Amino acid sequence: MEIKENIRLAVSGLTDHKFRSFLTMLGIIFGVASVIAMLSIGEGAKREAIAKYQDLGVNNIIVREKKMSDEELEEVRAKFSQGLSIKDAQVIREIVPGVSRIASQAEISTDVKYADKSVKSTVIGITPEFSEMMNYRLQNGEFINNSHYTHRAKVCVLGAGIAASLYRQEEPIGKMVKIEDQWMEVVGVLETKTLFTETVGELAARDLNNDVYVPLTTFLSRFSRENELSSEIQQITVQVAGSGHLMEVSHLMNEILKRHHFNNEDYGIIIPYELLKQEEKERQIYNFLLGAIAAISLIVGGIGIMNIMLATVMERTREIGIRRAIGARKSDIMRQFVSEAVAISITGGIIGVFLGVGLSLIVSLFTDVSTYIRPYSILIAFAFSVIVGISFGYLPAKNAANLKPVDSIRYE
Amino acid sequence: MLIEIKNLIKNYAIGENEIPALQDINLQIAKNEYVAIMGPSGSGKSTLMNILGCLDTPSEGHYYFNQVDVSTLDDDALSAMRNREIGFIFQNFNLLPRLNAFQNVELPLIYAAIPTHERKERALHALRRVGLENRMEHKPGELSGGQRQRVAIARALVTNPGILLADEPTGALDSKTGDDIMALFHELHREGNTIILITHEQSIADYAARNILIKDGRIHSDHPNVNRTIIN
Repeated sequence: MEIKENIRLAVSGLTDHKFRSFLTMLGIIFGVASVIAMLSIGEGAKREAIAKYQDLGVNNIIVREKKMSDEELEEVRAKFSQGLSIKDAQVIREIVPGVSRIASQAEISTDVKYADKSVKSTVIGITPEFSEMMNYRLQNGEFINNSHYTHRAKVCVLGAGIAASLYRQEEPIGKMVKIEDQWMEVVGVLETKTLFTETVGELAARDLNNDVYVPLTTFLSRFSRENELSSEIQQITVQVAGSGHLMEVSHLMNEILKRHHFNNEDYGIIIPYELLKQEEKERQIYNFLLGAIAAISLIVGGIGIMNIMLATVMERTREIGIRRAIGARKSDIMRQFVSEAVAISITGGIIGVFLGVGLSLIVSLFTDVSTYIRPYSILIAFAFSVIVGISFGYLPAKNAANLKPVDSIRYE
Repeated sequence: MLIEIKNLIKNYAIGENEIPALQDINLQIAKNEYVAIMGPSGSGKSTLMNILGCLDTPSEGHYYFNQVDVSTLDDDALSAMRNREIGFIFQNFNLLPRLNAFQNVELPLIYAAIPTHERKERALHALRRVGLENRMEHKPGELSGGQRQRVAIARALVTNPGILLADEPTGALDSKTGDDIMALFHELHREGNTIILITHEQSIADYAARNILIKDGRIHSDHPNVNRTIIN
């Protein structure tokens, strides 16, 4: 029998009993939909994590001042540590091999004002290298450059959020803002960045879009420290050539810093790439669980098909007998029933794909779980449904093919 | 000889026991014969029909169809035999209810892997032969008993089989319609078809040129029909 005839037969088997076919499909529909939805949730979480750590830089090692109470701070200073300093950065650059770039940054939390508006912000003093290391993109204007840095220029770059709240419709570039008692000229505005919603080590969660960047030189000469015990800078970001040496480099850095800080642990080291890997490992278990649930529902769907098909074979014994009497071979009957099972599972698979895509859209729209559908996940779910159709259609089809024509033709 | 049966035995296993259904059958049927196989129910005539129709195989002995020993064929080859050489006509028609008349007639050609175009032509031709060319789109449920049996006859004819094997073809029909069907068989015989009728009714067997009587699994008598019902 030709393939075309097989398809026609399978489709008519489907449409002859529309409601029953639909009920049979339900298992596959939900199975495929849940596979797609689950994979999209897993993928969404993965992408969110990658985006988060990419902002920190996957080749970076971040050394950050430890948050301490005034008493702790006094104790540390009494033990001779001056806290993080530009000197630390210089030592790391000189001694540690494999460091390609290094950037120091100092921070204060303060109000930034323009006209009658005022926004609570983190003002960050940076070196020109900072922009090369971070994947920060400008919406408008320019970033802090060497000339600003060397001339201690009174310029600043605004995050997208603070720029929007201070200037609304106005063009911020060229305007002056007041930080502490200093007037600074806005030279650039950054693009919107994803919210940094999780605290990572010493890096506290905050809205990066309200940050204001000024040259570190300007920062150190114009702004006073939060109190006399504060360290000179709050963070050193070290970029390593190639992520393979991250662990060695960080160990070495730790040794050096420990010595320079007289064994005071007043800093923390964050390796975004390691955290990313660790998080990925944790997520693998979670993804496996999601996948297993989805796979089980697909299998249950397959059993549903098998169940109905077995009943159908009984009901159609006479038809099978007639077909055999007029010349259908066992393999023809076999193919007819497998094709029907596959037609059911493919149709269910297609409906399930749409339902799954819809489901993952609904999840991302109405909850804060982000989802992402990769084309291959649709392919996997669909291929799975076909495999389920073939494997669970096989047994009923075999039963059908093995009916003896002489008995089945007289079956009432 | 079209059909040659030699020392055929058929036993059925029921539990531990073997029940003989047919014993020591020897039979020859030539091309273009018109044979009625008669016998009361339980005589073994249905078993013989199943074997003649390649639906079942003998326990012992040989069944030659066109010199091919059917008893040695595997399932696929038996299917091909049924497809090409046997035209079944059943008492209860055995049409597929979801297919229309044309599709029912076309079905054996699909299993014979005949190309679409030729299939359509031959199915149409067979339906014309039984006078149902204007009922092609009707499903069996929309046809009368006589019309359904004609569709079944068209389906049997469509592959140009070696024999037409009719099992009580008028059993489900009223006598008038039954006579019409028997007249059609008469014409088909005259056109060169070999026909084997299985029946328990003498009046139906009377249409055939040769009567074989089966009793208790053996051929009781086998002779030309002297009182043949004449159809003009």
